[in-house]
Amino acid sequence: MTIEQVATAVRGHFDRMRTAGCGFADARLYDEDASQRVVLYDGNLESNNRGLERGIGVRVLYEGAWGFAATADLDTIGACFDRALTNARAAARLPGFPKEMGPARPAKGEYRAPVVKDPFEVPLAEKLAFLTGIDERLKDDSVKQRIVHARFQRRRIHYWNTEGTDVSRFVNNTFATMMVMAPDKDGRTQRRSVELYSDGSGTRGWEWLTNPDWFSGHAERIKRELFEVVAAEPLPPGRRDLIILPGQGFLQVHETIGHPLELDRILGYELSFAGGSHVRPEMIGTLRYGSDKLNCRAGVTPNSPGTFGFDDEGTPQRDYYLIKQGILVNVLSSRTDLAEANAKAGSEVVSESGTAARACAFYRTPIDRMTNINIEPGEDGTLNDIVAATENGIIVDVPVSWSIGSNREHFHFGTEIAWEVKDGRRTRVFKNPTYQAHTLDFWRSLDKVGDKSTWLLQSVPNCGKGEPNQIMELGHGIPVMRFKDVQCGEAEAATKE
Amino acid sequence: MLENRIRELLGRARDEARKAGMNVELSFHREQSSLIRLGNSSVALATHEALTRLDVSVQDGRKVGSFSLTADIVSADQLREAVHHAAENCRAALPKDYDPIFGTVEEAVDDSAGYDPALEALSAEAKTDLCADIIKKLKPRGRYDFSGSWSTGSTEMYYTTTANDSECYRRLTDGRFVMVLKEQDKKWELQVELSQKAAADIRAAEVIAAFDDLRPVYEQNEGFATTIGRQRVLFGPQAIAQLVGLAIWGGFIGRSWEEKRSWTAQNKFGDRILSEAVTIVDDPANPDVFSMPFDFMGKRRRRFAVVERGVFKGLLYDSASAARYGKKPTGHDLASGDFGLAPGDGPAGLEAGRKLAGDALYVPHLHYIHLPDPTKGMFTGSSRFNAMRVKNGEFVAPIFSTRVTDTSPSVFNNVVAMSSKTVTHNESATYGRRTPDAMSVPEWLLCDNIRITDVADSF
Ligand SMILES: [Zn+2]
Repeated sequence: MTIEQVATAVRGHFDRMRTAGCGFADARLYDEDASQRVVLYDGNLESNNRGLERGIGVRVLYEGAWGFAATADLDTIGACFDRALTNARAAARLPGFPKEMGPARPAKGEYRAPVVKDPFEVPLAEKLAFLTGIDERLKDDSVKQRIVHARFQRRRIHYWNTEGTDVSRFVNNTFATMMVMAPDKDGRTQRRSVELYSDGSGTRGWEWLTNPDWFSGHAERIKRELFEVVAAEPLPPGRRDLIILPGQGFLQVHETIGHPLELDRILGYELSFAGGSHVRPEMIGTLRYGSDKLNCRAGVTPNSPGTFGFDDEGTPQRDYYLIKQGILVNVLSSRTDLAEANAKAGSEVVSESGTAARACAFYRTPIDRMTNINIEPGEDGTLNDIVAATENGIIVDVPVSWSIGSNREHFHFGTEIAWEVKDGRRTRVFKNPTYQAHTLDFWRSLDKVGDKSTWLLQSVPNCGKGEPNQIMELGHGIPVMRFKDVQCGEAEAATKE
Repeated sequence: MLENRIRELLGRARDEARKAGMNVELSFHREQSSLIRLGNSSVALATHEALTRLDVSVQDGRKVGSFSLTADIVSADQLREAVHHAAENCRAALPKDYDPIFGTVEEAVDDSAGYDPALEALSAEAKTDLCADIIKKLKPRGRYDFSGSWSTGSTEMYYTTTANDSECYRRLTDGRFVMVLKEQDKKWELQVELSQKAAADIRAAEVIAAFDDLRPVYEQNEGFATTIGRQRVLFGPQAIAQLVGLAIWGGFIGRSWEEKRSWTAQNKFGDRILSEAVTIVDDPANPDVFSMPFDFMGKRRRRFAVVERGVFKGLLYDSASAARYGKKPTGHDLASGDFGLAPGDGPAGLEAGRKLAGDALYVPHLHYIHLPDPTKGMFTGSSRFNAMRVKNGEFVAPIFSTRVTDTSPSVFNNVVAMSSKTVTHNESATYGRRTPDAMSVPEWLLCDNIRITDVADSF
């Protein structure tokens, strides 16, 4: 079937759904959802896979309840709508706050992710030559394991709804990681890694991956730093100022700002799986989330997997503040739950969709997701300026482990590496660094935010949420940040066992 | 056996590839999945997915390439194209520095024993009505809010290769029911989760009774903040399944052992590594699990022990690790196994377990699990649902969120007792393709010296 034939069929079924009593319906056709994954493990090609998915997912709103159905068989679109309607009717038997789409905002248009050279047009041999070149540079007698991994996505998605919205997206994404591992003298495996990143500008194709500034140029550095970690002493526990590089800051923001600001979590729709949020609807507009230095946006960063043109309700992606000068001013939302949030808050706290309705495949329904959750650069200079202004601190980079309360109110992170800062100078490296805090105390202790020179866009290829489970890709633009007086190292390490 | 139309297409593709001198593995996956999602005591979403997937792998000497297709499989041309894509990937691949093993069906399998048409057809309406019944009865008993999910469906898996004409096929149904009751003022959460092989396995009365068993201690007592340090802990099924999973992942994966990254790296088979009470086996014949009869290299799966009475017995090798390290594959080229922690000789029933425990923490769930140091088997995880303080053999108070940071060998070397009765813990996720997954675990596990490293002042 051609796209036009599918569109015609879908429109016919929209009429049928309206007649059956549905207030709203939409359809997403994945004409192409292509993926490629290449993994080199100690130089061996361990994964060499290409994938293609094609199918349609439809959603209907019946008496304030959602029904969804998906099929790979485009000859059965009618039956797919029928199943979605049956599901919505079933859901309406145990109704909650009625779901509603709010005012109709029909959109038409097309989004194309900025790409110079489509990675799917690059022959596998060329990809392997590039990745093997990196692997060669990671080799060393003291490196015990090496991993070089690249993953590519290309999607052609068409969206229609009963309001007349008709939008298309042509999206490419590129992800890559390199990692080296070696045991320390205690037998514990230490690691150092880097993910493909950028300054948020530029394009998302093969040219991004092959720009040495953003990936391959770091091979020697991570190898050198691994050897420093292997030779280092463990971080002694204590309270210190904590300087977070973007390689760690992205996950700090992801887990303690991004997830708790998802409206479905705030309203309790993720309780049994991903968890809830310490934020309640009435706090939107007043909660002091962080210090005055904290400015966080759901951004439309040109070169990021969190930029997609139109969300999965067909709404053009918006760029807006979530936290302004430390005050929570908005949350990540779709159209569906705004009325419920306002009713629960007792006043209008959210006025329009946060354009965060996203689905990971044609066979998954859109839920509230992160897009680009970015911290704006500040006025406290470069990393060197921040280090120079620090008496007793550590600098940390790249997560190893994390554990976070179900409402995201407290957290514990372990990172690959820490550098001690004493009297304004970087001194030695520590291994096994960890830190922990309560979310709001922590963000309120933010006292230095680096300038644009410290701001980097980190990709997250694998954020998990929702039932049925969905893996989503997104971005975080993060400057260097300093937090005052944070518990670093295991507090109990000092107590007897 | 698989529907004839698709079976013939797959057979034809295999025969054509063989005629062309190619080594090709074909696997086919078909699911009918449906799920209802509960939030704020309502059904927030009801879904249905009908999906077919084809995986093709082509091997030429030391080169391997693969291709996966999620689309309706309708024609021989489609299959030819998929084989062609995998072959192209293979052609351009880097040769490995070892001889990869080619998949071969060693024994034909045609298994539909786990298929219940009534569970496959269980409607969203029937599921909604059962949940509505539970909520209607429980809601008036407190300031409660309900959330959860209920996934049911059927899965077909088929595997054949150009090595011979034999085929492996299985069809089964499965379900996983999870309901969370949250007290809206005090913020505590109770959870009931059940595993399902047949439509009749979930009954409202059973769910209500399970919540009613838990509610009084939570209703009548304030949260208890325990102290940091080593303590006696009584683990429940979900936590035990997590602990067993961590022990396997950190200690019994052949590749990690070969690369000296597992906590068993310094040990050899025959060494006593855990308490004598501990036996961990992958056993498709265990009635608690979903029983995967073959893996995706065509190996017939049979009972496989990694630890027997505390003694190191085996390591899990998928075919790539086996080939690389000169070992035999063990039937573990698949997403999940049929693992179990064998029952102990302790009395059956949670009541008997807590009486035996005396003073302890009851931690039936561990969430937010991470493995910061697999070499030592070190993990972290936090209590979440249904956790209680045990004093003089009685549940006396709910406990606040409590973090455990310990190692697998330490936990399983400090076993005091285990229930003699096992239960199923359903581990199925709904990421990607439907993959029923369950573990068989004793209903309780009592351990001493569990390292508590953080105690919150909230649930
Ligand atoms: Zn996430």
